[in-house]
Amino acid sequence: MERPADWRYGYELSRETGLKSGTLYPILMRLEKYTLLEARWVTTEDGVPPRHTYRLTPNGLELARNKLAEARPRSMVRQPAFCSG
Amino acid sequence: MRMMLETHLRQAATVLLESAIRIAPPDTRDWGRAMAGELNYVEGPWAAVMWAAGGASVLAKQALASLFLPGRRGQGMVPDGGLFAKNASLRKAALVIGGACVLAALLFFAAPPFRQAFQVALKPWSFMFRMASGNIQPGITTLAKQAEMRHDPEGLAFCAVRLQDAHESARLAEEAVRLDPNLLWVYAIVAMRHPKLREISSWVEKLKRWDPQNALFHLITAESIVRAHFPLGVWAPPNQEQEQAWRSAMAAAFRSPKFDDYLDRVAEINRKVVPRYRFYDPYEVESRMQLDLPAPALESSERFALSLLHSGQELEARGELKGAREKYWAVARYGQVIDFQGHTEFEHWAGTYLQAMAYKPLKALSEKEGNSAEAALFGYLAAKFDPVKGEHASVPKESAFGLDTSRRNAAVVEISGLMILIFSGLVVIATSILIAGSRRSAGPTAQRAKPVATIVVLTSAVGLLFSSVTLYLTYRPYWYIFQSAILNGDRVQTRDLREFLISTQRLPGVPPRLYLLLDALLYSGSPSFLFYVWTGVTLLGVIGLALILLRHFLGRPRTNAPP
Repeated sequence: MERPADWRYGYELSRETGLKSGTLYPILMRLEKYTLLEARWVTTEDGVPPRHTYRLTPNGLELARNKLAEARPRSMVRQPAFCSG
Repeated sequence: MRMMLETHLRQAATVLLESAIRIAPPDTRDWGRAMAGELNYVEGPWAAVMWAAGGASVLAKQALASLFLPGRRGQGMVPDGGLFAKNASLRKAALVIGGACVLAALLFFAAPPFRQAFQVALKPWSFMFRMASGNIQPGITTLAKQAEMRHDPEGLAFCAVRLQDAHESARLAEEAVRLDPNLLWVYAIVAMRHPKLREISSWVEKLKRWDPQNALFHLITAESIVRAHFPLGVWAPPNQEQEQAWRSAMAAAFRSPKFDDYLDRVAEINRKVVPRYRFYDPYEVESRMQLDLPAPALESSERFALSLLHSGQELEARGELKGAREKYWAVARYGQVIDFQGHTEFEHWAGTYLQAMAYKPLKALSEKEGNSAEAALFGYLAAKFDPVKGEHASVPKESAFGLDTSRRNAAVVEISGLMILIFSGLVVIATSILIAGSRRSAGPTAQRAKPVATIVVLTSAVGLLFSSVTLYLTYRPYWYIFQSAILNGDRVQTRDLREFLISTQRLPGVPPRLYLLLDALLYSGSPSFLFYVWTGVTLLGVIGLALILLRHFLGRPRTNAPP
């Protein structure tokens, strides 16, 4: 969300989100199916298989922003009474 | 060494993922290649293996979904319940497979062999509980009530010869004979099973008039006298009058030219009554068929035969060879009658045993008389009927399947039946959880339980089908034996069936010593002991399962909390 134009690798997303491959890829597959995500193959060096990279489409970006906006008030309500935030 | 291990692990991860790509549907292979492409960048060999395993599981699920839900091919990513929800089509595929397995398992119940197999499989477990209820033969009791309502003498006779309740058995026998006097032989069977009944003396008088040459009634009288010496389970020495009555009964039995235990009439009644009442319980019909028949009376036969042989030896010592020969011949002739006219293997064995006892002194007597040809004949017969080395020494004879096979099959049937119950219970519980989780008002706990419940439904349904197939295939030969015996009177392999049924009355894996202990406790005035034991075991199991489920669902951390 901070750098929406950047293409990201699957393993990189996995490390950032903490999701394992068995959980992450079905989500990516679904996002791509609904054109919320675009994917492309990139070749990094000779002899090494190409890598799949991903980034959110404008629709995906909009959906993600909406979802975050919805989630924020709920997360604030859930904060304990004596929380520093 | 470490480098080699890392290389092998990475190779294994690559092979795993490539194998999964091969079985994946065409529209998801690119995603498989995408996961494989990342494999080279995953840090650490074990992490690479885990990455490959996760990817392979995704592709395998897609392959499964496309296999069982072909109409959903290419639509596997439809978000059902949100973009980040678990894949609904996979859950549906699992439920379709599970439902098909449950349906297939239920269809087995349409087959009569399977219904009978299931009944047999649960017999040892249900027997434990029935012992406590006080009615250990509910099927026979119900059938007796129906036969009484229909005024069916054959149905009453069928129940009378099987009931373990002596007084009820006597009552049904008298009612059967009242309705059909040709069933008088039922008295003989009931008297053999319950030798302490007061009615026996009057029954025996009627039987003697009906079938005057049969040795069986004299054996029944002798057995009643012997049993009277155990009034409270303790041996009471007989008085002279009782001893004389026993001797005269046995002497009459030894003089009788006929022995009929009426088992062919029992088989005839079975053929009529079992289909009439659809009473296909092999335990009641077959396994008790030959129990309690005149085997105990044959112990009296041996005792009386020994006393005759002893008298013969005394006569022989006094030079009264003709009198001695008569005594020996009385034993040999009685043995021949029992051997040739008896129906059970034990009767044949007892007949030959008694003959062997008599032929030995007859041989010695012939030698003493100088009749070598006769001595040779008696020597041959004594050797032939020798209980240890003779032709009849291998009693009990080996059945066609063998005792080990019967025991193994019995264990397989018992375990299969139990597993059918357990898997059915799991399917019902997991399905209830799924239904509860599918409601709109379902809480997060119920939602979280749905994937686990789906797996439980699938695995339990597969287990249910496997157990049903195993039970059916294992029991089917015994069903054919039972059907042949009941409908056609073919008793060639009934010994296999009896061995199998007796084996199923023991729980698999429970040592005989434990059964001795349980029997001792059971018959020591605490009839509900086993009921409490099994109820306790069942309750503990249910409570344990409930605790595990509660801990799993309530103690699981939330992973889907919004950021």
